[in-house]
Amino acid sequence: MDQALIRNFSIVAHIDHGKSTLADRLLQVSGAISERDLKEQVLDDMDLERERGITIKASAVTIDMNVDGRTYMFNLIDTPGHVDFHYEVDRALAACDGALLVVDATQGVQAQTVANAYAAVNNNLEIIPVINKIDLPSAAPEDAAIEIEHVLGISADNVQFVSAKSGVGIGDLIRAIVRHLPPPKGEPNGPLQALIFDSEYNDYRGVICYLRIVNGTIRKGQRVLLMGRQRTYLVTELGKFRPQMSPCDELAAGETGYVVASIKRLQDVTVGDTITDAGQPALQPLPGYQPPQHMVFCDFYPSSGESYDALREALEKLSLNDASFSFAPQHSDALGPGFRCGFLGLLHMDIVQERLERECGVSVVQTAPSVTYEVVPHDGPVRRVESAGDLPDMGMIAELREPIIETQIITPADAIGSIMQLAEQRRGVYRKTEYLSPQRVLLTYEFPFNEILYDFYDKLKSVTRGYGTMDYHVIGYRAGDLVKLDILVNGVPVDALSLICHRSKAEARGRRFLIKLRREIARHQFEIALQAAIGSKVIARETIKPFRKNVTAKCYGGDVTRKRKLLEKQKAGKKRMKTIGRVDIPQKAFMTVLEPED
Amino acid sequence: MTTPTACRSLYAHVPFCRSLCGYCDFYSQVLDDAWVTPYVEAVLRELAGYAARRPLDLDTIYVGGGTPTVLPAGELERLLSGLRRYAPDDAALEFTVEANPATITDEIAAVLAAAGVNRVSIGAQSFDPAELRTLERTHAPGHVIEAVDQCRRLGVRRISLDLIFGIPGQTLESWWRSLAAAVAIAPEHLSCYSLTYEPGTPLCTRLNAGQVQRVDEDLEADMYEAALDVLPTAGLAHYEISNFARPGAECRHNLRTWHNEPYLGVGPAAAGYIDAVRYTNVADTAAYVAAVAENRSPWHQHERLSAEGRARETAMLALRLTRGIDCRSFAERHGQDPAVLFGAAIERHTRDGLLAVDDASIRLTRAGLLVADTVIADFLCVR
Ligand SMILES: Nc1nc2c(ncn2[C@@H]2O[C@H](COP(=O)(O)OP(=O)(O)O)[C@@H](O)[C@H]2O)c(=O)[nH]1
Ligand code: SF4
Repeated sequence: MDQALIRNFSIVAHIDHGKSTLADRLLQVSGAISERDLKEQVLDDMDLERERGITIKASAVTIDMNVDGRTYMFNLIDTPGHVDFHYEVDRALAACDGALLVVDATQGVQAQTVANAYAAVNNNLEIIPVINKIDLPSAAPEDAAIEIEHVLGISADNVQFVSAKSGVGIGDLIRAIVRHLPPPKGEPNGPLQALIFDSEYNDYRGVICYLRIVNGTIRKGQRVLLMGRQRTYLVTELGKFRPQMSPCDELAAGETGYVVASIKRLQDVTVGDTITDAGQPALQPLPGYQPPQHMVFCDFYPSSGESYDALREALEKLSLNDASFSFAPQHSDALGPGFRCGFLGLLHMDIVQERLERECGVSVVQTAPSVTYEVVPHDGPVRRVESAGDLPDMGMIAELREPIIETQIITPADAIGSIMQLAEQRRGVYRKTEYLSPQRVLLTYEFPFNEILYDFYDKLKSVTRGYGTMDYHVIGYRAGDLVKLDILVNGVPVDALSLICHRSKAEARGRRFLIKLRREIARHQFEIALQAAIGSKVIARETIKPFRKNVTAKCYGGDVTRKRKLLEKQKAGKKRMKTIGRVDIPQKAFMTVLEPED
Repeated sequence: MTTPTACRSLYAHVPFCRSLCGYCDFYSQVLDDAWVTPYVEAVLRELAGYAARRPLDLDTIYVGGGTPTVLPAGELERLLSGLRRYAPDDAALEFTVEANPATITDEIAAVLAAAGVNRVSIGAQSFDPAELRTLERTHAPGHVIEAVDQCRRLGVRRISLDLIFGIPGQTLESWWRSLAAAVAIAPEHLSCYSLTYEPGTPLCTRLNAGQVQRVDEDLEADMYEAALDVLPTAGLAHYEISNFARPGAECRHNLRTWHNEPYLGVGPAAAGYIDAVRYTNVADTAAYVAAVAENRSPWHQHERLSAEGRARETAMLALRLTRGIDCRSFAERHGQDPAVLFGAAIERHTRDGLLAVDDASIRLTRAGLLVADTVIADFLCVR
């Protein structure tokens, strides 16, 4: 294929601005799918994704597009839209030469528009701004175009105005893609260098790697080397998604496609690795990726009815098609054996937990998520801990550092005051304000990651009446006056409930937490003391009074079986709790630290 | 096949009421005259079917519901005399009918007396008009007194009253007044139930919707303890978690259940326990009538209990009685020493002061009565 006829590009957008609709529209215009199939969003394939309206995996689709009498090959590389999946966005963009930056004409530039635009610029991509949904009466396409130019510094000369839904403007957009996005460069006859920009597990074929061929040509039957892993494989199948898998014999420099090479486990492939010829390897690999940072951790323990092995098997099964979470055995004094799992972010954590229950049918006790902290001991090297339970004795610690994020918040200007107040509560450090228009601003803040871990986004939505959007990325670690807050149930410290927080917040946090915990734990036959402590100093206390009455009033001839089953069920319900000392703690209590604060 | 065992107790369910009360989860429908005759016929036919296969030597009959006394006098008469045919000895028979105070007319009272009914259980529930309205009961406190008088005049020897505590809005004082009013009527037997929010009932829906408020747990416990304290001083001894009686006037029919002995149940939604099988009839009058008419079993579900299951049920039921588990008869019946079989549960709960144990019996203490479910659950499940 003549490289001049190839275009590799991504569509990037803030969530709901129409990325999937536009991708489907392009497929439909090219004839790859019918109008009827348009109803299904072709590029999203997991149920869960559809339900949550987000895409987890990047995938690539090849379409033949007829433009002014010539047939072009468009390789459309899909990207996820949520903050947690930044890393995947980056991987996908590295396989592209250009990007369509979609902005909803009724919403204007939003936080993820900014983040995505920066990511595209960092990857040296040519960008075509696309203002979508111009069919809507409330559309303000010109304003959106001005915002793009103003905030993102992207020239509005090439802006395309479209309705992905009705098809208006799509022809012009296609011509703009051909005209403004560069064709790939690369030497088809040079030594093979192909970038693995994504991978996916398939029950029948094993691991499928998505490739962008940068130099050389890859062929069926070729023995290839994964340069990072230093392992060789035989290429058994090559092809493209159109959007169905469609095998071919070779892929040459500039092309995008997939390769199957009897790789059994997703873990055997590092996304970002370079594939080369095993006999005549390239001199060096392509610039790789930063491996994904697991920023959020929590523990999964089997509920009492479940076995540890069943949980392990389920996690192994899930990791087959999600290589971006990690898990390692973990032992908690209170909860026994389980797993410490690392996630890209909170949403990612929710997705994994939901898939465990839904797809694997195992129920778990999940501890409150934590970010990773850096511990600087008085002597010895700096190390990271993923939960308060793993902290060494505080006396041994010279400094405790927490991860800091930079946040971009786009909000109506009249909400600035409320956001500043919110930011102050969360130990935010103000950086700058940029006006997108007189009514809308882009605020940049730094926060300790810990402070926005759970309800910050909800709070932001509420103080901006739903209009605020945000995006964040981790910028480093910083020392803080952090303490370990222990929770004791009848004098027994519960490691899974302990947490790290800023000293100024410890007391209030401990007090609120105990109140919530008190609500979660049912009355027992005896009094239960709940305490929050820093070291040996108790800073808050609650008691749960013993229950006085638990008796079925009626048990006559007609009730025997039902009452018996009820009692048996109550008893079985207790099994689903964790017993600490003699206190039954329901699973939900372990997540209580997460709930909104005020 | 085990030979069918003789059966000495019978429960008949009458699935009709004048109107339905919001807290009640018994199977019942608003009285529909068209269904009465087919219903009575079906009950008698179902019973005849059992009698053809096993000796029925009834010495307790309990007609409950629903509200048996809403049946038209003629049909009620036919039902009662039809049941009584299987009780050979009038003198030995305890024949109970449940009654709603508002439905006992002179005519009905006469039918009861003529049929040999010697025990009437009246759903008084409360003597506070506001509380009765909360329960959606249609009678007034005065109806209870009248109904008792009518029964007594016609020679019914035993009267039982039901009271409910823990009604939304009820106070300790008003409960006290209801207890006093009940005692003043001098019933031979009194049942005091804490209000239960049965899933699926309108009352439960209102609770979940926040339209009614559960009484505080401590208050409810205080109410229960008030009954435990005051009733014995009025000659009504406590003999089962919710039941009090003059000595010798305990409900023999219900004792059969608590002693885990067999009983037959007939009528829609009725439950029975025969040949180690617990069964429940279909809770649908039309389906029930149709099944019986076509000689099909009206059983909706049944469960055959294992030897261990029977032993555990014996314990569960006996613990509800103040006399508790009789160790000797338990061992004779189940071939196991209860002190061994339930060793772990006994140890834990005696330590906490909830059980009292000696060679003869295992029983709940006063503290144990209040948390009986916690204790009993440990007798049902291993671990
Ligand atoms: N009216 C209108 N609606 C659109 C247009 N493009 C997308 N949508 C709707 O906007 C919503 C979000 O679109 P989607 O493609 O799923 O957004 P994504 O999250 O960026 O992939 C869907 O309900 C689409 O039907 C458009 O051009 N006009
Ligand atoms: S409480 Fe009695 S009268 Fe009320 S619906 Fe239930 S059975 Fe009928």
